[in-house]
Amino acid sequence: MTDALSLLLLPFAASVAFVLIHAYLGVHVLRRKIVFADLALAQLSALGATVAYANGYAPSSPAGFGYALLFTAIGAALLTLTRGLARFVSQEAFVGILYVVATAATILVVDRAPQGAEHVKRILLGSILTVSPAEVAKLVSLYAAIGVFHWFARAPLLAVSSATQPAGRSMLTVSGWDFLFFLSFGLVVASSVTIAGVLLVFSFLIVPAVIGSIFSARIEVVLAVAWSMGIAASAAGLAGSYAFDLTTGAAMVTAFALFLVLAGMAKAVVFIAPLQRRANLRVALLAVLALALVLAAASSLWLLVNPTADQPLAAMFEKASGLGPGHFLNAGDREIFDNAARDTVRFQGEVDRLNARERSARFQGAPLSDEEIRRIASYQQSFNEMARGERFVQDVLRGKARQREAWIVGLPVAAISLVGLGVLARRWRRARIVGANGTGRVTSGS
Amino acid sequence: MRRGLLRLLVAAAMSNAVAVTPAAAVMRVVTTTTDIAALVAVVAGDIATVESIVPPASDPEAFETRPGDIDRVRRADLLVRVGLGYDYWLDALINRIGDKRFMRGGEAYLDASTGIPLLEIRGQSVVNEGGHAHGVANPHYWLDPDNAIIITAGIAEMLIRAQPAQRNRIVAQRARFLADLEARRQRWSQVLAPYAGAKLIAYHNSWPYFARRFRLDIIDFIEPRPGIAPSPAHLAQLIARGRKAGVRAIVHEPYEPEDASRLVALKLGVPLLHLAISVGSTAGTHDYLALFEHNIAALAKALGTPLP
Repeated sequence: MTDALSLLLLPFAASVAFVLIHAYLGVHVLRRKIVFADLALAQLSALGATVAYANGYAPSSPAGFGYALLFTAIGAALLTLTRGLARFVSQEAFVGILYVVATAATILVVDRAPQGAEHVKRILLGSILTVSPAEVAKLVSLYAAIGVFHWFARAPLLAVSSATQPAGRSMLTVSGWDFLFFLSFGLVVASSVTIAGVLLVFSFLIVPAVIGSIFSARIEVVLAVAWSMGIAASAAGLAGSYAFDLTTGAAMVTAFALFLVLAGMAKAVVFIAPLQRRANLRVALLAVLALALVLAAASSLWLLVNPTADQPLAAMFEKASGLGPGHFLNAGDREIFDNAARDTVRFQGEVDRLNARERSARFQGAPLSDEEIRRIASYQQSFNEMARGERFVQDVLRGKARQREAWIVGLPVAAISLVGLGVLARRWRRARIVGANGTGRVTSGS
Repeated sequence: MRRGLLRLLVAAAMSNAVAVTPAAAVMRVVTTTTDIAALVAVVAGDIATVESIVPPASDPEAFETRPGDIDRVRRADLLVRVGLGYDYWLDALINRIGDKRFMRGGEAYLDASTGIPLLEIRGQSVVNEGGHAHGVANPHYWLDPDNAIIITAGIAEMLIRAQPAQRNRIVAQRARFLADLEARRQRWSQVLAPYAGAKLIAYHNSWPYFARRFRLDIIDFIEPRPGIAPSPAHLAQLIARGRKAGVRAIVHEPYEPEDASRLVALKLGVPLLHLAISVGSTAGTHDYLALFEHNIAALAKALGTPLP
């Protein structure tokens, strides 16, 4: 447990630093409507680091950082141009092009650099779990400096982010502020992507800002909500990653998404006028019911049409209810099915046992000769073939059982769920007619 | 009648002449990896040029073929692969070329894993080879120097089949290499003998053949499922297990991110050891023997230093 705590403490500290700066920048990015700008900038900085790498500099060396900074500045300049281009074409299109070209260029450069693949992998996935104390210290000081800059320049920066054509400012000053914004943004993203990876940085940037924007348009409220939710989601993601033995970056991204869904639901049913709340709850309930009925109908019809195919929902039902395929077979078939299941496990166990024996002989007792190794391998092949055979028997019998199950379970479920859907549809149509007549409609309290 | 005989003699003399002269016959051998290329080079000497499709110091399992590779394989007189799914991308290349010589059993195709005593046969393979599904074995068999005997035997057989006249030369070159290898192998085993059963943690499961030959105990892996970063629970368990078992070093291989290995090494207070997984993957591993010299020396140094 102490190992776990010491493992998770630093990643959490790094996450807090990431959330504080990224959620703030995320608010800007949302207002500018160029959510993928971070990917483009991060990829350009990665390209710079890769070019440095190909020229023989370590990514963490001053030269490596210099290259990354240079390419980030070029990216910032290119993104500054998007404001001018916005009149002709969507800014997102331009950002997207920048991103894919930078990615492709990185791959081409890596192709010439030995062991560059490791570098690309790092950029995509990151490794927040193994962040070092020195890295955290570096991040905090860099983000503090950028935070101070943004605090003193908050008025013009927010103004240029919020409007396409800010009033009372010349195009040149607007472009200047744009460039400074993108440069500071690029610096943040370039440093975070090498640690957290592209996927997680995108989540840090966008998800808390979106959660904040759900509840308010005032920047103080948005930021307060975004920061607290971002930190809570990071903690939940890290804890979940430990508890369920999941890879950290992906677990954290999922936690952020979960928090977004919860926030959306909270907005719909908690932070709302009581009358509207009841209406929303009813809609949500009906939606869940309808979804369940559609799933049940589709699955049972699929079971009727093609009982021997993969039946994910039927398999889940069998597992949950304990009504396995054995219940739909006659006594003889059931015995064969059960034996096959038992033998599959047994043969697999034999393969594992042989592996364990070979493994321990590598360093303990007399070493196994090549002939003995070959014999073990051929036994394992045979056991694998036999297990495969037993699995085939199981599959055939499961198909047979499902053909019966289709009539005994599938048909009634299909009938009930289709009737249920019909009832729901009629209710929904009636409610709409009533709504159109103007009765029972409730306007939102906010 | 006499003329007929003469013509026959002339024909015989000519065919003989063709067979005896090396006939500008520098064979073109293409291999998938640098390890197999290094072994082909020692057996073939100067009767063949050898080229590896995967360049040195890149990961064969993450390799993406280029247009030039099609041409490279098409012009080859012999194609040698690692097999066991390690260079799976070659199948698509061979299908694309569609030349019978490179198909399974063709006269210019060699799967170097043939005859190797395989370790860690797994169940359930999705790949169906010629109607008969095999379990998948661990593919890193070239990391046992004794397997070089089997690999070079296959290579020599294919070379002799293509160039029967060079038989003696090929056999002699292989024998010379194996004699050198055997002498060194004994020295390597002696160097590592004091550390038999030493506990190690490796990044991937790339070392079972090496561990078997040199009697090492690799207790666990940093990244058990390749490509998926280790979870914190796994790392915590690894550190606890490593501490209890008295792990002596973390074996890290090229092409993989170092962070997790460094973290575990730091927590356990043991060295982080860079071992070369294939010829040319790190400096000083330019051929098959140098690969082992490098790895054995690095291991001996790490295991010979008492822990603080």
